[in-house]
Amino acid sequence: MAAMTAALACRGLGKRYGDLVAVDDVGLSITPGQAYGLLGPNGAGKTTTISMLVGLLRPDAGEVLVGGVDLAREPLRAKARIGYVPQEIALYPELTGRENLRFFGRLFGLPRRGLAARVDEVLDLIGLADRADGKLGAYSGGMKRRVNIGAALLHRPQVLILDEPTVGVDPQSRKAILDGLERLVADGMALLYTSHYMEEVERVCDRVAIIDHGRIVADGTRRELVSLVGGADTVELVLDGDVAAAFGKLRAVEGVSEAARTGESSVRLLADGGRYLLPSLITAVEGHATVTAAQVVEPDLEATFLHLTGTTLRD
Amino acid sequence: MTPPQAPHRPRPVAALVAANLRRHARDRTGLFFMVIMPFVSILFVGMAFGGGGSGKLPVGVVAEGSDPVTAALLAELRAHADLDVRAMTDTDDVRSAVRSGELAAGLIIGPGAGRLDLVMTQANGSGLAARGAVDGAVAKVAAVLEATRAVRAAGATAEEAAAHVRRAQAESGRVGVTGTATGSGDPGGFAYTAPANLLLFTFINSMAVAAALVESRRLGMLQRALTAPVTRRSVLLGEAVSRLIVALAQAALIVVVSALLFGVSWGDPVGVAAVVGVFALVATGAAILTGTLLSSPDQAPAIGPPLGVVLGMLGGCLWPRESSPDVLNAIGHLFPHAWGMDALLRLAEPGTGLGAVLPQLGVLAGMAALLLSASLVLFSRRTPA
Repeated sequence: MAAMTAALACRGLGKRYGDLVAVDDVGLSITPGQAYGLLGPNGAGKTTTISMLVGLLRPDAGEVLVGGVDLAREPLRAKARIGYVPQEIALYPELTGRENLRFFGRLFGLPRRGLAARVDEVLDLIGLADRADGKLGAYSGGMKRRVNIGAALLHRPQVLILDEPTVGVDPQSRKAILDGLERLVADGMALLYTSHYMEEVERVCDRVAIIDHGRIVADGTRRELVSLVGGADTVELVLDGDVAAAFGKLRAVEGVSEAARTGESSVRLLADGGRYLLPSLITAVEGHATVTAAQVVEPDLEATFLHLTGTTLRD
Repeated sequence: MTPPQAPHRPRPVAALVAANLRRHARDRTGLFFMVIMPFVSILFVGMAFGGGGSGKLPVGVVAEGSDPVTAALLAELRAHADLDVRAMTDTDDVRSAVRSGELAAGLIIGPGAGRLDLVMTQANGSGLAARGAVDGAVAKVAAVLEATRAVRAAGATAEEAAAHVRRAQAESGRVGVTGTATGSGDPGGFAYTAPANLLLFTFINSMAVAAALVESRRLGMLQRALTAPVTRRSVLLGEAVSRLIVALAQAALIVVVSALLFGVSWGDPVGVAAVVGVFALVATGAAILTGTLLSSPDQAPAIGPPLGVVLGMLGGCLWPRESSPDVLNAIGHLFPHAWGMDALLRLAEPGTGLGAVLPQLGVLAGMAALLLSASLVLFSRRTPA
């Protein structure tokens, strides 16, 4: 399908525990420079899928290719290309941030000579250069999260896999983390991202899969997913002039499925592709009123997610 | 675009060892128990066993007769390197001095040395050591008497018999000296407490560092390490080597410091290194087993050291085994400490070497192999991947 080799791809991935099917026929493909979001309720199979993608869990079926290298056949070569950021903060609290990074540098076999310099680079990247020699146990939640990510970047992986990387961090740290991830993607890194925070996935990822009961139930760009639900945009207009006459014109515009007056001078319309309809809406009211303010609200991923996976609590 | 992968050579064992040792070095309490406690224990327990002061055990002796046999026995006791013989006249004085701890033991020699009364308190290490020394001296005099009787029975005059025995004693002089040193049972003072505490603390501190292993598992460090391009075997090896180095460092520290500070002579270095090395492997196996079976890091310090102390008691690391009933000593030999004690005490005897402790080494090596393989299999199974 894709002309260039996918940085990470899997096909027909399956895992069962006795009678319980944890993951069933999961396939995805991430190209270099692409950010791919994996969304799912708790227990949907996200962590099981990721464990198989990073080589911690042997799949019962299917295959994983990392930059074209078969993970099952050549695990060491394939793993060398993956950077994995686990959900928990898997770092030594007794050691400093720098020492923790050095540990992972050795573990991944960075050349002895360049190790210190590379650790400094990553410390810069995660914005911890000036706090590098404090004990990790004394860091804030956000700082620990950043080191947790930095540890996966030392060996310059081709694909970065993040399992809920922003749990329990303050907005400043979250912004720093997301900014950093966007830079990495812009530089050509492939990203697989799971999070419970929809707005994070909407911001970072250009492709999203929704997984439930071990299967991928939807997969596409954000817009494609949202339109799956048949989601029409909501258009809010503020008018100046003969609002009643303008309202009559607006509800007659093709594409507008519903219209309501929400105030003295405001109306709300439901329209497919609302943003593209905006010029014709403005033209329609000409002669009766002028549009002084307009807002197009697209249906969001959260609505799609809840639509596809239901609203029943999963814990 | 992504730069091409440099030919990286992962160093999981080095990475784990460096990180783990650094973690232990940051643990102040752990360091106190490794660097200070063993020597406090050697010093105090050693002094209680009579290793302090002049290094001699004070023994009060009341001689009721002045016959040649009594004189020979007194001479033998005075010649004993570990005894400080004090001539006394009143039996009651001896008894009260022993009770108060002023004397390690008392000896009342009846007329003609026909009857010997040893005065000592039961639960006292220096008393036991003094008893050993007195036994040795008595045995030597008895041997001379026996030899003299034998020669006279063969038809010699008293003078001829004495000459024969003296000549025989002179010929076997070297053997006689060695016999004195080994004949007194387990040595007293630091010579006993140093090896005892080496085994005790090597084991206890290995068990204590098992907490770090539980912590690594709980934090998800081991799982994360397995996502690096490394084999499972090398991660296990890295964890095992980390613990082994701690055990070996603890043992080496005790050997060197006790030799320099307390003048303990450990014996043949090759033999000692072999025994200590194999015992460290046993401790490592026990530590990994503990670190694998426990689920909270707080359990390790709660379970490890008490277990280490109990095994140490059974193995003679807290008090000399000759003061324990045989049943306990037999049970003790189900565990590594007793075998380690046997081997180290044997090596401390002059003229022994690696060859003298092969049975003990064999048993310890078997225990190490069993513990290590069991712990690694379990560890491997409990670290999902």
